[in-house]
Amino acid sequence: MKSGQEQFPSAARLKSILPLWPLLPAAFYLITFLFVVLSYLLYLSFSTASGAFPTLATAGNVFAMNEFRQAFVSTLLFVIVGTPLELVAGLALAMLIYKPFFLRSIVRTLFIIPLAVPGLVTATLLFIIFDSNGGFMNHILMGKYWFFPHVIRHAVDWRGAQWSALSVAMIGKIWRDVPISMLILLGGINAIDPELFDAAKTMGAGLRQRFRYVILPLIIPAISSVLLLRSIEMWKEFIFPYILAGRYHLLGTLIEFLYMEWGGKYEHEAAFVALVLVGCIVVSVAVFMFLVDIVRRMVSDVR
Amino acid sequence: MGKLDRFTPTSPLKRLVWTIGIVATAFMVMAPVYLLVKYSISDMESINTGGLPVPLWPYHPTFAVFSYLFTDPEFWQVVLNSLWIAIGTVLLSSLLGVPAAYVLARYKVPFRRAILIGIISVRLFPDISSVIPISVFFISLNLYSSFSGVILAHTLLALPYVIFIGMSAFEGIPRDIEEQAMTMGANQFQIFFRILLPIAIPGLAAAAIYTFLLSWDEFIFAHFLLDPGGKIQTLTLYLRSRITFQPPQNLLAAISVCLSLPVIIFSFAVQKYMISGMTAGSVK
Repeated sequence: MKSGQEQFPSAARLKSILPLWPLLPAAFYLITFLFVVLSYLLYLSFSTASGAFPTLATAGNVFAMNEFRQAFVSTLLFVIVGTPLELVAGLALAMLIYKPFFLRSIVRTLFIIPLAVPGLVTATLLFIIFDSNGGFMNHILMGKYWFFPHVIRHAVDWRGAQWSALSVAMIGKIWRDVPISMLILLGGINAIDPELFDAAKTMGAGLRQRFRYVILPLIIPAISSVLLLRSIEMWKEFIFPYILAGRYHLLGTLIEFLYMEWGGKYEHEAAFVALVLVGCIVVSVAVFMFLVDIVRRMVSDVR
Repeated sequence: MGKLDRFTPTSPLKRLVWTIGIVATAFMVMAPVYLLVKYSISDMESINTGGLPVPLWPYHPTFAVFSYLFTDPEFWQVVLNSLWIAIGTVLLSSLLGVPAAYVLARYKVPFRRAILIGIISVRLFPDISSVIPISVFFISLNLYSSFSGVILAHTLLALPYVIFIGMSAFEGIPRDIEEQAMTMGANQFQIFFRILLPIAIPGLAAAAIYTFLLSWDEFIFAHFLLDPGGKIQTLTLYLRSRITFQPPQNLLAAISVCLSLPVIIFSFAVQKYMISGMTAGSVK
């Protein structure tokens, strides 16, 4: 039997833990949903409509689907092309407003406006602008306005072909989300010690050199964050391809298509594709971390 | 030399390039918003131009589509539905999130870092991947196509934001106040309700507005959890249902304006918190 003195620390520990109870309802809520999501996702993915469990039949069905292979490749390209574009656009915006100028705060607020526009609204607007029949973009490119040269002869059915439809979806995604990249990079640039700029300038470094040798190396953590966070968002993308790319699926829209079409006949396949999507994100994050680690080691070796 | 002019273009040519960059970017950002408004007040002649260029400003600007929308009972019904769902989400996520934020901000919590990573990872999980398990689970609980089902799902999305924004609101309050109250004999409830909560209200209000907006324009969960032909439809589903092969562009734009106006207005009211929430932990 333990003595009273030995029991005292656990009583004190209990007393210190007791005030933490307000954390429990939220923790319970999140853990319950996490458990539901993971367990159902795994169960549905490895079972069939006839009740067989565990089975790889659903996985086999999915891997045999042409739609899945196409969606996987399209999503991969969406991530590989879209993420760097968003980084470059965000960096350009950050560099533009890093400098102090008259009405800077208003311009900064202006640049953040896309974030406030709901994704569905942006997608709807692009649906209107890129309409093949009387859409604004076709009229511009056909040289119907004084301010733009004649680029195409006939109206393009933007949503009617895979790559143009997905490109329009990517434009929408980048337009809406680029302020997030801008803000992260702006934070990185603002964190640079101003003395470094002075030193570089004193040593005769021009604008381009200061960008290349001072700013760029020092905002690598911010760049890594943008690449990581935005690539995850690109993998997850649903609304833009759903509205703009119709039958040209990414993994996200394929999940919706399999689940909603044909009266839930492909519910298990939809769940498996959802699981694959999670797997893709986990693997890409792991690969990214590995690459970042290599880059960091290379940088420290050079130093 | 001031900090801010250390990377500024100094020569006139560079200044010109920079000014063009600012103007061009502002144009690219604002042009879609302008077009949205323009389409929403366009008359049919400005939309069906018969091969002529779509006018940059409507020939006969009109609020006819808005009048049509505002006299359509279905429109008001979906607005009310979206409102109820958003208000319900705000209440539930605040009820769960604010106490959690208080504890995480003010107490020494074991495994705090792991808990915070766990909370934020909920948002990194794709909505489209979690929506099927949740739909199947809710169908089994008879929560499919109900207000409560969507509110519960939206709360799951909003809770991490409420906790993180709430934490920063509580962390900003000096600890001396709490210690003085404890010295004077106040208990945990009194300290929370009478002292900390009133001071943290501006930050918590921002979290509430952010949650409201998140629910107001949410599409994926509403799409999966509400019966397409059922009585409960949200404004986002209403807009989606109007996107057909050849939809009336002015109607789509008008619904879009109604959907985004509150979001744009309130987003700027809580801009500071939104930015800190979205970029939290992203810059080392």
